[in-house]
Amino acid sequence: MASVRRDRSERFWLRYLILGSWAIVCLAPMLWFLTIGFRPRTEVIVPHPIYWPSWSLDAWRLLVSDWPIASYLRNSVVAVAGSVVIDLVLAIPAAYALSRYEFRGREDIGFYILSTRMMAPAIVAVPIFFLFKNLGLLDTIWALMLVYAAINLSLVTWIIRSYMLDIPKELEDAARTDGAGDMTILWEIIIPACLPGIITAAVIAAIFAINEFLFTLLIASTSKAYTMSVALANFTGGSDGIIYNAIALVSFLAFVPILIVVILIQKHLSRGLTMGAVKG
Amino acid sequence: MASSAHSIRAVAPATARSSTGKPRRRSPLLRSAFPYLLVAPAVLYLLAITLYPGIFAIYQSLYVVRFVKWTWVGLGNYERILQDAEFWAALWNTVVIGGLSLALQTLIALALAYFAYRDPFIRGWRIIFLMPMLFMPSAVAFLWKLAFNDGRVISDLLMTLGLTSGNVDWLASVWLARLTLIVADVWQWTPFLFIIFVAALQGQDQEIEEAARLDGASWPAIFWNISLPMMRPVIVVAVTLRGIDITTMFTNVYIMTQGSPGGATETMSFFIYRQGFRMFNFGYASAASVLMLVITILVAQTLVKRAFRSGRS
Repeated sequence: MASVRRDRSERFWLRYLILGSWAIVCLAPMLWFLTIGFRPRTEVIVPHPIYWPSWSLDAWRLLVSDWPIASYLRNSVVAVAGSVVIDLVLAIPAAYALSRYEFRGREDIGFYILSTRMMAPAIVAVPIFFLFKNLGLLDTIWALMLVYAAINLSLVTWIIRSYMLDIPKELEDAARTDGAGDMTILWEIIIPACLPGIITAAVIAAIFAINEFLFTLLIASTSKAYTMSVALANFTGGSDGIIYNAIALVSFLAFVPILIVVILIQKHLSRGLTMGAVKG
Repeated sequence: MASSAHSIRAVAPATARSSTGKPRRRSPLLRSAFPYLLVAPAVLYLLAITLYPGIFAIYQSLYVVRFVKWTWVGLGNYERILQDAEFWAALWNTVVIGGLSLALQTLIALALAYFAYRDPFIRGWRIIFLMPMLFMPSAVAFLWKLAFNDGRVISDLLMTLGLTSGNVDWLASVWLARLTLIVADVWQWTPFLFIIFVAALQGQDQEIEEAARLDGASWPAIFWNISLPMMRPVIVVAVTLRGIDITTMFTNVYIMTQGSPGGATETMSFFIYRQGFRMFNFGYASAASVLMLVITILVAQTLVKRAFRSGRS
């Protein structure tokens, strides 16, 4: 034990120097950006940065009066929630098949689903734009919902599949001998048993959908379909330049709920982010 | 990383399903088709959103598109694009900016994870380090745009430290502009790797490390010879995923640099966007998309399969 303790003291300073430095690197820009949200416009774009703000609620007033912030928020929430529902409806049966059945081409199907995660948004941007143009869905939240669902489907399927693989077979064997059918087993045994995985998948998919930028930029052209993520890029009031204080404020309004939800699923985060490849 | 993943590859044998109790009346055909019916909706949805665009892009790339007028040019777009210096520059920028960014965040995340994973305050560190990842990427891009360019904060800090004599114009120099993109990406996405690496280190067998420590091995030696080899499969998976996302970098370029100076920060994604939605050369943009798709498929086929196979064992 003595050697262990000595080892600790040797590394103690180095450890806290490194971790402390990175904590500052993380927090300092955030805190500074937070103050931007409480400054008058005149203090944002300046030849010499002003570190101590003269507090003002300009940005709040701007948001409430000049920007249809409520509709941006509503668009984000509806499109994201809808996309997560679509994902779960499609992914749960698929994950069930991939984790519970032996069938020809199972691996290939699984990897095809995974491979869609590798598709750069820009590759399909032009065709997707024309697809929704021809469907008459440009500038609607329905188009955003469908796109977000497609982006995250691979992720959701693989996360849930990973959790389903961990459910011991004995659980369902008993039910089978009682004559329960496949769908009953899925509903009454499998889904409740892998609920943490389903929730993790839903949260991570929701975050990626909230963040989505390129497709939203192409599909949305008015506040009918602007989401928070892309609305930020439009906080440029023509002659006013970029309205940073409003941007900073919106960033934090979106950040707080996401932080709370992520802290709640912290334990499952590493597994979720690697689509089940790493068991945290 | 338990090997149990394989043993639980639960497969319901046909006998179990037609076992005792009330035999379910299902035709054998339906039974063998059942798993396919389960995966069909997801697969069809993804095919619609990948295959259709793929075919559309190939078709469109054979035309010169001028608003509603499509003129057949065969492989003309491809001939032009392969001689287009801007295309090659975009490919090179994607590799350079992405590669440096990925290398940097991997090293930082490894160091942080190794020092944090057994720290008594690990929960606190984790939440602090996690935060940048939870901001919308567009917000992060604006944060760094303000810090570097519009608010001149970084220049001011560097002047205070005596590192520069005047205000730095970050968009005037090729490497400084690239650096701003790298800083933004590293700041936001190092947490992704950090969280995964910490999980891997916490999940490893502590006894080997403890034994090595009792033998008086130094911590760098332990890290290099014990922890790192154990983490290898996890590192491969995490870095592969992060690498895929980095090569699709668009938001930061769109908000922070718009590809300037002189296209030095134009990534492949931004190139396609600019050709399509700024210059309305949709056929040309589609040809670029097809080329990028081919590269993606080649990479996905080899790298990703290997990463996910090894990562699961």
